[in-house]
Amino acid sequence: MGGMDDREEVQIRSSRAGDAEAFGGLVRKYAGRATGVAFLLLGNRADAVDASQEAFLRAWRGLPRFRGESAFFPWYSAILRNVCREHLRRNHREAGSERLDDLPGPISRDDPALLAERNERTERLWAALLRLPGRHREIIVMSHFQELRYRDIADLLGIPIGTVMSRLHQARKALREELAGEKR
Amino acid sequence: MNCDEARRMIMGYLDDELSKEERESLEDHLRDCDGCRKEHEGFSNLKEGLAMIKFKEPTDAELERYWRGIYNRLERGLAWILFSVGAIIVLCYGAFELLEEMIKDPSIALVLKIGVGALVLGGVVLFVSILRERMAVRAKDKYSKEVER
Repeated sequence: MGGMDDREEVQIRSSRAGDAEAFGGLVRKYAGRATGVAFLLLGNRADAVDASQEAFLRAWRGLPRFRGESAFFPWYSAILRNVCREHLRRNHREAGSERLDDLPGPISRDDPALLAERNERTERLWAALLRLPGRHREIIVMSHFQELRYRDIADLLGIPIGTVMSRLHQARKALREELAGEKR
Repeated sequence: MNCDEARRMIMGYLDDELSKEERESLEDHLRDCDGCRKEHEGFSNLKEGLAMIKFKEPTDAELERYWRGIYNRLERGLAWILFSVGAIIVLCYGAFELLEEMIKDPSIALVLKIGVGALVLGGVVLFVSILRERMAVRAKDKYSKEVER
């Protein structure tokens, strides 16, 4: 299976055969990253935990469709993105907003417990990332933290691969500008 | 290759998404163009920085709670499916028996028989209609589909 270590491959095979504890091993391995990614998309720790758990549940149910062409985490994180989108749409609908698909704007509340290591460089980058508009943050999250290839990003966003490159360019440029603006 | 094209391609270059020919063509351009070379360095530094951001591994106790949360939902999901299937069977059986009794019972007024019959038929049509709508929405909704890979 593509990009997977032997242990993960065994865990996936056992999970597919209905071994919940083997799946628990995968969950334990990726829970921290999954919650971090969901936080970057939703901007709230409690929602992030809930969405990442729901995505694991769907991954468990969807395991028969996992063909192993990518590693587990990129596959799982595509499901996670869908769950986060649904979550946002539900919240927007409840709030009576017409723009159902919008990601939240800049994230105002940081969660210091999320990062493994905080030094000056990661602190600044993290803070700049949280300040980005949702559309820029989303594509950076997909590429850097969800480990999705351009083909997968294109499929999920329903855009051509060339547009993925342009949007990543705009988003990374915006992130650099955020960092430069902070220095000034 | 012009600079606009090169700057867009730098993304693919950094993310290892370019073909051999595209890489070579971009590398040629970077050798000759100071501006794009600086752009490449800037984005390359940014990517390195982002790679340094790692999420904290939860403690064993946190992981256990997290997994329990998923396992409980999994268990509850199965329980709900069993409960729903059981409820549908019991309700259908009960409704069928009740209808049969009512139809056979001459003491019950015809208008009541028609009313109950319409009620049951309406309920079945509503159920099928909602189910069909849900399935159609699910088939069209890009966010509700699971990813195959």
